[in-house]
Amino acid sequence: MSNGRIEVRKWLFLSFALLLSLMLGACSDSSENTSSTANSGSGGEEKKEFLIGMSQANLGEPWRVAMNDQIQAAADEHPELKVVFADAAQDNSKQIADVENFIQQKVDLLIISPNEAKPLTAVVKKAYDAGIPVIVLDRKVEGDAYTQYIGGDNKLIGKKAGEYVAKVLGEKGGRVVEIKGLEGSTPQQERHDGFLEGISSNPNVKVIASQNADWLRDKAITVMENILQANKDINVVYGHNDPAAEGAYIAAKNSGREKEMIFIGIDGLPTPDGGLKAVMEGRLSATYIYPTGGKEAIESAIKILLDKEEVEKTVILDTIEVTKDNAEQVYKQFGGK
Amino acid sequence: MSAEKSPVPNLEQYQTKFNLKEILYWLQRFQSILGLIVVVILASILCVRNGENLFLDPINLANIVRSVSENGIIAIGMTLVILIGGIDLSVGAILGLTATAAADLMMNKDLGMVFTLFIVLLMGALIGWLNGLVVTKLSIQSFIVTLATMSIARGIARFWSGGIGVPITYGEEANLAPSAFSFFAERVYGVPVPAIIFILLAIIFFTVLKFTRFGRYVYAIGGNETAGHLSGLKVDRIKILVFVICGLLSAFAGIIHAAQLSQGSPNDGNGYELNAIAAVAIGGTSLMGGIGTIFGTIVGVLILGVLDNMLGLLNVNSNLQMVVKGTIIIVAVVLQKANSNK
Repeated sequence: MSNGRIEVRKWLFLSFALLLSLMLGACSDSSENTSSTANSGSGGEEKKEFLIGMSQANLGEPWRVAMNDQIQAAADEHPELKVVFADAAQDNSKQIADVENFIQQKVDLLIISPNEAKPLTAVVKKAYDAGIPVIVLDRKVEGDAYTQYIGGDNKLIGKKAGEYVAKVLGEKGGRVVEIKGLEGSTPQQERHDGFLEGISSNPNVKVIASQNADWLRDKAITVMENILQANKDINVVYGHNDPAAEGAYIAAKNSGREKEMIFIGIDGLPTPDGGLKAVMEGRLSATYIYPTGGKEAIESAIKILLDKEEVEKTVILDTIEVTKDNAEQVYKQFGGK
Repeated sequence: MSAEKSPVPNLEQYQTKFNLKEILYWLQRFQSILGLIVVVILASILCVRNGENLFLDPINLANIVRSVSENGIIAIGMTLVILIGGIDLSVGAILGLTATAAADLMMNKDLGMVFTLFIVLLMGALIGWLNGLVVTKLSIQSFIVTLATMSIARGIARFWSGGIGVPITYGEEANLAPSAFSFFAERVYGVPVPAIIFILLAIIFFTVLKFTRFGRYVYAIGGNETAGHLSGLKVDRIKILVFVICGLLSAFAGIIHAAQLSQGSPNDGNGYELNAIAAVAIGGTSLMGGIGTIFGTIVGVLILGVLDNMLGLLNVNSNLQMVVKGTIIIVAVVLQKANSNK
């Protein structure tokens, strides 16, 4: 019996040793920062390094992985900036805790792409009111308690997509299926509203089904499978992002119906699994470049932290409509290999 | 008995051995608190930036207690269920359902706060009652039953709101929620209201378990259900009541959740049952039933909260955080196994 207890104590010490080493491993990362950062308490001394906290909504989305990569790449060019990333994995409560931790660490600047607008507004305001400059990327919060918002014009993109569909379907019109993003996120609402505006010019274009896939490819497959079951006649699938459109394509292909309809997405990443390649390979009929704004966020951070300048409240990024005609050229333009 | 042996035995050696054994006994009895102390010390040492202690800051500690409140309230109910030898997997789904229902009733059906709270708490109690009923009258294992009600509650929640979250906006006009509801998201003298509710409920149920007949019955049934039955205890009724309490507490957590996020989403609460079970297990409650305390559960809840906070403040990779958490749970449960093997 006492043998068992010794056994247990061995395990206990082992586990805590493992834990401790993990801790120290993570700690050495931030302690480098601690030792090299000038003491912010001493009056008037110039800061040598700035800590930026980046709270991401969901790294399960490839577009957000690209956003983080672009932020990191832009920050690498400025040794005074150190960026730490937190991922909320689509959990609002976790993202609130992530931001609270950043506030606690007194980060010099907060970049956030909120999972949903309403739940995150209060905590973002807390950071802003505590004197931390806040840059909001892509998805908005409510109110105006932030320093700068950087994002594409989702309404315009939705409208362009709608106009494209109206044009392609022509006088005969057609039946459209809409695969929407996460309901509480602002790009979803705007891409939806914009699209409806875009197709309004053609009264024969009808949206026959509209379901949320929360920006995720696997959800889109399931959602599209159900829609395919219920609707025998579909002409266009409008996905709020490329993964949604690709998921719908996979579902259609599994039922052998992918040639009956055209697929439209948004994002246009120049990656091997991105929308540009999908257009080049014929799966998507069109996509729209939706820049992540990562690079612009770091540029604003430099302005705010180093140059101590004011920045504009809203920065709207441009989009490009990509079809088979220009896909290859755009792909090379954005660094695709 | 040898005649050559000295008539007066040497008591000195027994004295020290007894002390060592006693120390070990208390060490293992209070292993959960020790675990909490270890984790708190670790956090206090490691989470320092620019000479400031990030962890021991009152604001940070308030954040921790706030973020564990929902799990804590659910864990109280889970403790009771596990004590009688059962388990409740539907708590997370009940949270999602009640959060969605609360938001919808106030915003779209324009019901007042009191009425809404009443209906929502009733929903939780009803689902708990359903759980208890099927477990006792149909003699099906609670694991399966609550797995099923988890699915049912989740489905109802999604169906109710069309699968999307119901936002909560406060105001006087129709189709806006009564601003009194935001109380659940506020702080009183710096202490978050959810934390106050959690502590109050913990005290209440601590007292119930330790000092009331009902509490003794719960332990009796958990320890040996047949013996309890033979002693004349109304086993079925007590078990049902336990499940009702668990459902009720989950509903309460759902209300707080909706207020905290200013929205009621049917997909929220996913995985909350695992967090609650982890807290209960770390706190020293045996999953076999009959052994455990509310106090232990609270400590377990706090250990998980401090861990989350420490890993967050140290900016440990989110994926590593899950690894660390899982390791802690195994360590804690292994310790319990050694304890109960005595």
